[in-house]
Amino acid sequence: MGSTFFSNIIKLISRYGHVFLLEGVVYTLLLSLIAVAGGSVLGSLFALAKRSKFIPLRAVVSAIVEIVRGTPMLLQLYAGVFIFPQIVPALKELPDIVSVIIVLIINSGAYVSEVIRSGIQAVDIGQTEAARSLGLSARTTMMSVVLPQAVKNILPALGNEFITVIKETSLASTFYVGELMTSYLKVKGNTFLTLETLTIVGVLYFVLTFTLSKLLQAAERKMKHA
Amino acid sequence: MLDIKNIYKNFGDLKVLKGVSTHVEKGEVISLIGVSGSGKSTLLRCMNLLETPTFGEVWMEGKLLTPVDPYLHFDVIRASKTYARLTAEGLTDEEAIEKIKKNDLLHEKHGAEGKEYVRLMKQIYAENHLDANLARQKMGMVFQQFNLFNNKTVLGNITLAPVKIGIARMKAAKRAGKPVTETKESIQAAAEKKAMELLKRIGLEDKAGSYPSSLSGGQKQRIAIIRALAMDPDVMLFDEPTSALDPEMVGEVLDLIKELAKSGMTMVVVTHEMGFAREVSDRVLFVDEGYIKEEGSPEEIFKNPKDAHLKDFLSKVL
Ligand SMILES: Nc1ncnc2c1ncn2[C@@H]1O[C@H](COP(=O)(O)OP(=O)(O)OP(=O)(O)O)[C@@H](O)[C@H]1O
Ligand SMILES: [Mg+2]
Repeated sequence: MGSTFFSNIIKLISRYGHVFLLEGVVYTLLLSLIAVAGGSVLGSLFALAKRSKFIPLRAVVSAIVEIVRGTPMLLQLYAGVFIFPQIVPALKELPDIVSVIIVLIINSGAYVSEVIRSGIQAVDIGQTEAARSLGLSARTTMMSVVLPQAVKNILPALGNEFITVIKETSLASTFYVGELMTSYLKVKGNTFLTLETLTIVGVLYFVLTFTLSKLLQAAERKMKHA
Repeated sequence: MLDIKNIYKNFGDLKVLKGVSTHVEKGEVISLIGVSGSGKSTLLRCMNLLETPTFGEVWMEGKLLTPVDPYLHFDVIRASKTYARLTAEGLTDEEAIEKIKKNDLLHEKHGAEGKEYVRLMKQIYAENHLDANLARQKMGMVFQQFNLFNNKTVLGNITLAPVKIGIARMKAAKRAGKPVTETKESIQAAAEKKAMELLKRIGLEDKAGSYPSSLSGGQKQRIAIIRALAMDPDVMLFDEPTSALDPEMVGEVLDLIKELAKSGMTMVVVTHEMGFAREVSDRVLFVDEGYIKEEGSPEEIFKNPKDAHLKDFLSKVL
């Protein structure tokens, strides 16, 4: 099989390279970026809400975060694409890709809110007390003392979240949204070369995540010295 | 300067302070001594509201820092209709107040009287209450673990609060339509000038641009002290300022605190350094089992202790 396997791979790359790279990789990166960027905004809001004095808000947000963290991503995608539109008919108008993006953002937001929470918690409470003892408000203390230090804990974890999301977006192929795993489905459907197609896709995922995690490590080293 | 009235502090079921009252005069230096876990830090932290007392009041120069409680203000009680009714029924002033307190008869839900109560509470609040953030600007605190801001240089540590609070004050004055000559830049420059003077005073002006991680414990603690001084506090609270230091650095920190004491600063110091307490204190308080068990001049406390626990404590630490 050896020689046909490799020649098949070369054939696939020359014929379907644009599907893998221009559609698959680009969509995967785009989806992940949107998910993590949206998730960071949402996660910050979640984290703020969890520190709120208004108990019902805290309870609702905690419940959302726990449910998202406690259920599989695929199930959440099903819920977003199939189940919620049954309950709220207006959602039926949304294209699948939009539903998928919303689910990805909420999912990422839940994880990011935990990242932010633990990043803040890791900043020693003594510094907060010192700032408050000087008469600074809780808000100024957070902005000037706690957050600048928490960010150093949060950014690396956000990078890891990005890498996780890259892998998780593969689940969105269930809805044929065009990312890397969808390009596997397409090419395999046309050529019936399962093993070869899967190998190409696997290598691409690995290259993506491996490069990113190396970049992340370098950035982390740099930040430690700053 | 500071009036501590009947402070109770519980952490869950743990009763740490069980009714502590004391008064800190201007210029006075007070030491808090006692065994580990007796509540010295808790008492000190109640003074600047880092811990909110479960019950009791903290007053600073005639202003109440702890939450306002209607039952602590007889004027409010006397203004209520319940009081009028009870006294009309023949109760004396004292009996009426007692009965109202016991049965929680002052409450918002009591119709017209409730409204009167809310109005009086607001008035009392406006006249007597001082926001804890404002109060803390005038109360410096120094911690056992230094607690310098790791993300700021030495200069940044010292100037953060004066600059942020100075700017907030300037903006408030502007909003109130008062003439303002300061700018953000002038506030920053003034804070830096003062910080450099303070650094010079402790001989560390060459450390202005360094980060805390590059300093020795003794240097960190002396900088923490001048960081508090940069706010021009009326009173300084110290919580075991030398306990986390290597022995060879204790001296430099104690010298700075002694110098402060001599300059007339009002201070409350939690300490295990009995020699220091004896030398600088005007008054020593022995905290034990949630109470101030004994208090007096260093002379009285160290030479002639009366309380059995204090005798025991001193025999172990001296
Ligand atoms: N935030 C808190 N939550 C729960 N318990 C607390 C808290 N702070 C203090 N305690 C408890 O209250 C008691 C008194 O503590 P505190 O720190 O005031 O003692 P201390 O006299 O300062 O002791 P030390 O000499 O060891 O510093 C201890 O039993 C302590 O465990
Ligand atoms: Mg203590």
